[in-house]
Amino acid sequence: MASRKMLDDPALDARLTFIRRQSGLDPRAALFVLSPVTSAEIGDFVRSLQEALYEPAIEYYTNHSKRVRRKRNRHSQANVSYQLPLTTIGSTSAQRPLRPEGWTVRYEYKMACFAEFRGEDDIALKHYHDAYSALHIMLGSTAILPPRTKRWAEAKVLADCISVKICKLYLYNNEHAMALAHHSSHMRLFSDLSRGWGIGEETFEFWSWLARQHRVFAELLEQGTRSTLKIPTHLPSPGVASQTQETQRGSLEVEAMRALGLNPTQALQHPGFYYYMAARCTENRRDRYLRALENESSHHASPGFVNERKVDHLSIVLELYTRAYELFKKYSTSSSQSQGRLTLWIAYLIAQTYYESGKFEMAVRFFERIAKTYRREQWDALLRPLLSTWYRCAQHLGDMELSVQLLLEIIGHGPQDDQDDPESLEEDLLAVLKSTVPSSDQVLTVDLTESGPLLDTSAVFWKSHVNVDQAAAFQITLTAPEIISLASLPFTSLLVQFSGDLPSITVQHTAPESDADVSSLQKIDLGDLSTSSSDNEDKDKDIKANLRWRPGDTLILCGNLTSSVPSNMTVSKLVLTLKEGNWNIDLPLHPNSRRSGTIPYPRWLGSLSPVRFIPVHRDNYSFVVVRHRPHVVKVSLSSEGPAYLGEEFPIVIDVTNADDRELDIVVDILLQPTEIEEADNFISVDEERSSSLIKGVEFGVLPPGVNMNKTLYLACSGAVGDRVIDISVQSRSMASVSPTTPVTPQSPSQVADTGETLRTLVVPTVDPITATHHVTYRRSTKPSPGLGDLDTFEGDYWDDAGEAHVVTTMTSVGPSGIFVEGLKLLREDGTYAKVNESTVDQDEDEFLTEWHTGDEFCDQCRISLARLDEPLGGGYIPGPGTYEVSWRRLLPNNQKGSLAKTRFSLPPLKPPSDGLIALLNVPNTAKLHQTIPLQLTIRNGHPTKSANIILQLEPDAVTDGFVVAGIRNGRLPILLPGGEEIIKWNLIPIECGWVKVPKIKVMNRRPPPPSAHGQAHDVEGEGEIVEVVDVRWDGRPEQSVRTSVDVARKSVEVPKVEMHPSDAAQFAAVVLVLP
Amino acid sequence: MAPQLRLNAVAFVSPQNHPILIRTFEQPRQDELKYHYIAHTSLDVIDERIQAATASKSTDCYLGLLYVEDVAVYGYMTPLKVKIIIALELSDSIVRDADVVAIFKALHTAYRRSVANPFLRLNVPTENVTDHSILVSAGNSRWQAFRKRVDEIGRAVGGFQ
Repeated sequence: MASRKMLDDPALDARLTFIRRQSGLDPRAALFVLSPVTSAEIGDFVRSLQEALYEPAIEYYTNHSKRVRRKRNRHSQANVSYQLPLTTIGSTSAQRPLRPEGWTVRYEYKMACFAEFRGEDDIALKHYHDAYSALHIMLGSTAILPPRTKRWAEAKVLADCISVKICKLYLYNNEHAMALAHHSSHMRLFSDLSRGWGIGEETFEFWSWLARQHRVFAELLEQGTRSTLKIPTHLPSPGVASQTQETQRGSLEVEAMRALGLNPTQALQHPGFYYYMAARCTENRRDRYLRALENESSHHASPGFVNERKVDHLSIVLELYTRAYELFKKYSTSSSQSQGRLTLWIAYLIAQTYYESGKFEMAVRFFERIAKTYRREQWDALLRPLLSTWYRCAQHLGDMELSVQLLLEIIGHGPQDDQDDPESLEEDLLAVLKSTVPSSDQVLTVDLTESGPLLDTSAVFWKSHVNVDQAAAFQITLTAPEIISLASLPFTSLLVQFSGDLPSITVQHTAPESDADVSSLQKIDLGDLSTSSSDNEDKDKDIKANLRWRPGDTLILCGNLTSSVPSNMTVSKLVLTLKEGNWNIDLPLHPNSRRSGTIPYPRWLGSLSPVRFIPVHRDNYSFVVVRHRPHVVKVSLSSEGPAYLGEEFPIVIDVTNADDRELDIVVDILLQPTEIEEADNFISVDEERSSSLIKGVEFGVLPPGVNMNKTLYLACSGAVGDRVIDISVQSRSMASVSPTTPVTPQSPSQVADTGETLRTLVVPTVDPITATHHVTYRRSTKPSPGLGDLDTFEGDYWDDAGEAHVVTTMTSVGPSGIFVEGLKLLREDGTYAKVNESTVDQDEDEFLTEWHTGDEFCDQCRISLARLDEPLGGGYIPGPGTYEVSWRRLLPNNQKGSLAKTRFSLPPLKPPSDGLIALLNVPNTAKLHQTIPLQLTIRNGHPTKSANIILQLEPDAVTDGFVVAGIRNGRLPILLPGGEEIIKWNLIPIECGWVKVPKIKVMNRRPPPPSAHGQAHDVEGEGEIVEVVDVRWDGRPEQSVRTSVDVARKSVEVPKVEMHPSDAAQFAAVVLVLP
Repeated sequence: MAPQLRLNAVAFVSPQNHPILIRTFEQPRQDELKYHYIAHTSLDVIDERIQAATASKSTDCYLGLLYVEDVAVYGYMTPLKVKIIIALELSDSIVRDADVVAIFKALHTAYRRSVANPFLRLNVPTENVTDHSILVSAGNSRWQAFRKRVDEIGRAVGGFQ
């Protein structure tokens, strides 16, 4: 009909008109013809259809609303104007007209519906509320709506429906709290009403209704969450002070409630909770139904009861729980981490339901999983009902092994509080054991170590450490709980297993001879057990004990453990065996376990009569560490005083085996690196020599009581200071490696029996001899060669530039004396300095003696210096020789130590340089009236300046003892740099005794400075006085004091003594004139 | 004045999630097991809350309303991770958080004072003070003082019945 061809058909209009007329459509109303469209276009089609219809639909419903409102208004006015008389109760409702309240409900409902159709949720909500409250008033009065009539039932369903509508509209608005509040208030209001109607909390009708409410609400929420509904979280808001918490809700009222808190009845949770509630209600419903079933006769007639009979309550419960379970799983955000305890709880309820409905396999499967968490977290209270239901399941299934296992676990947990008497469980177990046979002949192992153990056990060792082959005393305590009886359980044996190679031991049950013998505390000695004892010995041991525990009874097994190898010894396992008929049950026990909730309380039985326990206050009381006896090795180190630099200092290492075992001794010696400058240290033992570590110095195998020593030599050089030596003496017992003790395969990692003794030695090192030098310099008296002198070009020409006198003082400073075997000056003539002579060369034997502390030895040596071609780097000429002292230390027993050599080099030299100098040369003595020469050499040592010399001889008129022949006053030719002029006088002494030679004054008339040419003549008479030096007393220290203060002091003193006869300061040379 | 809170049950749970003490105050005394289950299942919600709290770096002990069944369950965790869970009877009124926190503080103090009992450590071999079995044992029936203190708080909250 919608095809293009048909659109052009002239008969179309007529046909459409016909259709309109036939369907009674208004001519103005739109007629839609649905044409077949492809699925891709269906969305567009629907949208266009909606667009086209939306406006008319709104209009349509608005009109309807208006009409209904008009009607309602009219009706309410009528209602006010005249009161209807009360109808009699019990009249047939079908024919009865609707009461004004009923009309109100009707109109309000209509308006709400129309508003909802228009999408005006707020208005719809208001009208629904009005309808709901009116309906509530109606239902509240039995006069208006008599219970259990048709209209009453309809009204009740209508109220439920409106309630759901209201909840839904609240949820549309995201007002979770309001929705939930309405939901709970609806249930509360109608619960109150139900009581009045005789379907209160004791009836299954009530619970059925309540379950339905919860379920509807849950389904509503579930639907909502599939679209946009978000379940709020009720976290206390972070960061706010603890007193003002707030939940995340959108509405304004939160602001007011911020300071107050939260109404728990208005905290919306995820739908799983409501399914769960529905399931609980359904369980209650079933409960009430079963109760009603008991007194069936009274309810027999009721149609509701007949209906109820058809209901499979358990499958409903199961369905609800399953849905709750799924939702709980979905909403547990941290499912991977947490245990899912909420889901476990639901799972437990599901399992219970399975049990109720007789699906025991399913229940058992659930129980297995749930019990794991409960066991681990020690929630005994939860575990007990679970176990008993599980046990009943097992009984129904006929799984005897499981039954026995569960019964034992229940016994382990103890009875439920004051529910059954302590012996009933035991009797149950015995009954099961006696009446049944196991499905197989295999030993049934019931491992209760995870859950509560049957007996409290503790294994305590008296000591924490023992040596090899030393006995370690232990006590194993097995105590029965006081709240449950185990006395009749037929335990036959108790197996005690120890760690490592220790043999295990079995205690057999033996009945006491009479009941009077049985005390609450039994002590059984297991004797000595050791790794070395062979298995055959143990089998002979027949240990018997009474393996029956009355409440609170204690069995203590004590004994000694000995190990021949180092290890940790502990009680690894206890196994109780229970035999009854064909049953053979093993009950492994952890050696240290307590029933949950009690603290381990290790104690040691001190005495039996009276019974005394000693508490053990040790952390690791449950094992004992076996180790080798420590080796007794004595190490002594002996050495004499401080070591001298240069010598090989002997240190005697003496090792004594004070043990009763043969010990193999190996010593490692480490010389610690030092911070000392230029230190070059060595240690040597035997043939080995090292600057740091000598490893594995064999001392050999020492039998007990034998000692052995070795001498370690320490050679130090460099600066004085402490040297540190670490000595590690390692001992190894020969017994442990001897092949006679076979190494058992169980203990492959045998610990070697070794010991180590450590010593640290600090050796102070000092100098044996110290040397100080004093140097004076003399000028050369030889005339300098001319510039063109051919001799100066010879290879071996020594350009003499004076001499240096070196006085070397060697002091023996070591605490013990040395014996000097040789003292030599090794010459190392250089380019600019060579040793001319030394006193050492002459009489050697005199000083080759013992030098004791404080002894000094002095040597003088003359060194000839050559003129420097160019200034030296650093300005020093290296010392042209080295003193070598060969010495031996004097040992206390008149022995002499090893030969050591100490070297002191001559000091570096720095001859002072002169500028312009005048050297006076005069003989020391003269004979009266005989002529002596007086010679003055003026040398210009300045590298660049020439000198203009004026000479003046000033004979002293009063004291003059000489007649002088020669120049008195004159000017010398200009002296070029490096040039030299010699002036000679002849003197005839005319007096005897110390006679001063005439004073000679030498002036250098300085050329005027280049900047003041014009004033050159004015300074004609000026000049600087040139120093005149008497070459006989010539001796100058170096320009800078180089050596120590001590040397400096001496260098000051020595010239004083030498200069004493003359008055050097005045420079008046004297001559001794003899008659 | 806020309406009187009705305290139905109190549970103390150790950091290792072992129960320390669970007391119920419902009159008549019935369905104690229910509160064991409530305490145990609350641990799930507490775990979630702790995760949320660590994510937001909150150090608040009070964990707020955990969930609502036929009672309202609130949680609290002490700085040493002992969890305290209380179940309040539902009433259609706002429960002020300040009131709940006050109850928790009182319970926390009761626990603290009981754990401080030096005799708890009598004969215990280890000196390790955080050994949780000691803390768990504070709820043991041998130690009456803790129960008494908790019961006193229960009575005080329950409005001097």
